[in-house]
Amino acid sequence: MSDLNLLLKKNNFSVIWILAKRELFEFVRNKPRIITAIVQGIFFLLVFSAGFAFIGIRIQGISVDPRAFTASGIAAIMILFTGIFGGMSVLRDKMFGFMRELIVAPVNRRILMTGKTLGVALQTLIQVEIILCLGVAFGFFGYDVSLIWRLILVIPIAFLASVGIVGVGLTISTRIRDFQSFGLIQTFIVLPMFWLSGALFAFNNVPVPMQIAMMMNPFTYSVDLIRYVVLGVSFFPFWLDLIVMFAFGIIMIFLGAWSFNKMELS
Amino acid sequence: MNENIIEVKGLTKIYVDGNVLAVDDISFNIKKGEIFALLGPNGAGKTTTISMLATLLDVTKGSALVNGYDVKKESDKVRRSIGIVFQEPSLDNEMKGRENLELHGILYGMPKKQRREKIKEVLKLVDLEEKANIYTKNYSGGMKRRLEIARGLLHEPKVLFLDEPTLGLDPQTRRKIWEKIKELNQGDSEITILITTHYMEEADELANRICIMDHGKIIALDTSENLKKQISGDIIDIEFEKIEDHTKLPIIISSLKQLPNIKNISFGNSSQENMSLDMKLPPGINPEMIKMRMKEMMSDPKKLLKAFKKYPMASQMFLNAPFEIKKRISNLFTEDFIDQIPEGIKEEIIKIRKGELTESNQFSTPEISVSCENGSKCLSPIIQKINDNGLSIKSINMHQPKLEDVFLHFVGSAIREESSDRVKGIKSMIKMRQLRK
Ligand SMILES: Nc1ncnc2c1ncn2[C@@H]1O[C@H](COP(=O)(O)OP(=O)(O)O)[C@@H](O)[C@H]1O
Ligand SMILES: [Mg+2]
Repeated sequence: MSDLNLLLKKNNFSVIWILAKRELFEFVRNKPRIITAIVQGIFFLLVFSAGFAFIGIRIQGISVDPRAFTASGIAAIMILFTGIFGGMSVLRDKMFGFMRELIVAPVNRRILMTGKTLGVALQTLIQVEIILCLGVAFGFFGYDVSLIWRLILVIPIAFLASVGIVGVGLTISTRIRDFQSFGLIQTFIVLPMFWLSGALFAFNNVPVPMQIAMMMNPFTYSVDLIRYVVLGVSFFPFWLDLIVMFAFGIIMIFLGAWSFNKMELS
Repeated sequence: MNENIIEVKGLTKIYVDGNVLAVDDISFNIKKGEIFALLGPNGAGKTTTISMLATLLDVTKGSALVNGYDVKKESDKVRRSIGIVFQEPSLDNEMKGRENLELHGILYGMPKKQRREKIKEVLKLVDLEEKANIYTKNYSGGMKRRLEIARGLLHEPKVLFLDEPTLGLDPQTRRKIWEKIKELNQGDSEITILITTHYMEEADELANRICIMDHGKIIALDTSENLKKQISGDIIDIEFEKIEDHTKLPIIISSLKQLPNIKNISFGNSSQENMSLDMKLPPGINPEMIKMRMKEMMSDPKKLLKAFKKYPMASQMFLNAPFEIKKRISNLFTEDFIDQIPEGIKEEIIKIRKGELTESNQFSTPEISVSCENGSKCLSPIIQKINDNGLSIKSINMHQPKLEDVFLHFVGSAIREESSDRVKGIKSMIKMRQLRK
């Protein structure tokens, strides 16, 4: 109830929006970053789709163009990379002192966190759409009018998927002090979530132990759902994907909020 | 108008991690419209005190009212009543100056129209109107500080907290900021200012009342005038000739103490040089790493100039560097480059290049400061004692007490009570005197 009141205060909307805008500006104004995103996207798409072009992929008995398969996987992966490292912008704010300015303001910390999460989620959306549009431009998805609404439907799905991932980034960054732990996070969280998500290979082409590991990875379901939206086929039923995605999102955002609330600045 | 805007009673802070008693049962009141200084060496507990008053840290014990609101229970109202400039930088460098202010205005719930007007007003106040649309990463140290002050004032707070506002700035910039602070306080808004500093000069210049803190306790609290009166009599500063005499100081002090009419003796060291890198680096930045980078740059004046411009800290490091390094750096800057050197260090570099500054006047000779009832009577027995101990005097100087002497008087005696902390205390004291100018 108190949370609802918090959201209904008019100023809180402005605060959330300006904080989200700040994250977005950070991304949009950073020309090298945008160029990197696009060039990296092209690179990924060309290399991976060339590499996997001859592997037959069948999902639920339907044969899928491997290039479309990898392109949609890469788009989903953008959520993971941008989401976690975007969530870590809390760490940057902590290190460069701006976090003090935020937390001494008469604004509830949950509002601050909501603004940040929104901003990063929007950032990931841009990344996802860049990849998908490049994929379309390369003709990986064929040419079909339905692609238009598929690309639009991806927006809310990618947004929801990124909320949980941003929560992971937030939780981590409230707990560490500097970028030295970066390698560890990369090795033990980001890369396992990446390799075990099935973004670049088909779930039914790997041995059973690997399949079990993949099923334990919550991000697998987001990848699957995005694929369902873009390609129309998925390994798991889409409702299962949705449930897992929501549950993961809710858990992580609460965990993120809790860590953010507890964060002490010294 | 004798209303108190801040009332602190028995305020105490224990940091659980590290088990540090950072603020130890302090009480004071600040009147509306006053400039109140917390003066003390590093680690005295100034920042901790301000953080508690700003509701950023939990209070372990005691109470504090800010603008009539309890910091423990009414944190939102307290936060609306205060503006704060933190000891460490807190601007978003990826945003322009004006955007930093915009964001602040929104955080404090200011409507758009009021925000626009107020931003204009505070920018003018700190002379940054022309730089408002530049990214703050391109600001100089002084400009950043001024923008932070402007930001602290934007939402029209009743009290402004300034935590070491001139730390690491060059003397001219510091003066400029002092002017602004005075201007603020004299304006019709009647804003109350709580400033912390370890520059005695700064406290003396700005504050109506000064609260001297050390080891988390209040040692003295009064106007600068009254504090100076507390040590009546004269101060005799004695400088010894040989650097090796440092080791003999404890002996000479204890033997001087046996003389009649001597009230207090403290170590002093008025030389500004030889100071260590006394600055909080952002976490994750290793001073060794910076030194390594400095070494790399030591061969290229262009790179050095860039570093000086980009990092205000670099200038500070230069000033603190051993003479040998200073000389090497100075010799890099040939005539073509001199004009581009930042103001804070230009003078020194020119002096070194001209040979006006040499190694011999860079090393600090030992100095003590004797406070006594009647200076002219004490003078000759003091000199006698020193000669008996086989030390030679370089200079001797008698004067009326200055704020600095007051500080040494109070902090000096506080140190003697806690002998285990002695070495640490002396070090910080020496630092304080070195930081004086
Ligand atoms: N977060 C912290 N955890 C543990 N000890 C701390 C923390 N912050 C400060 N201290 C300690 O508390 C004491 C007072 O520090 P501080 O208030 O920063 O002093 P000042 O601002 O006067 O230099 C110091 O001994 C310092 O080491
Ligand atoms: Mg401090």
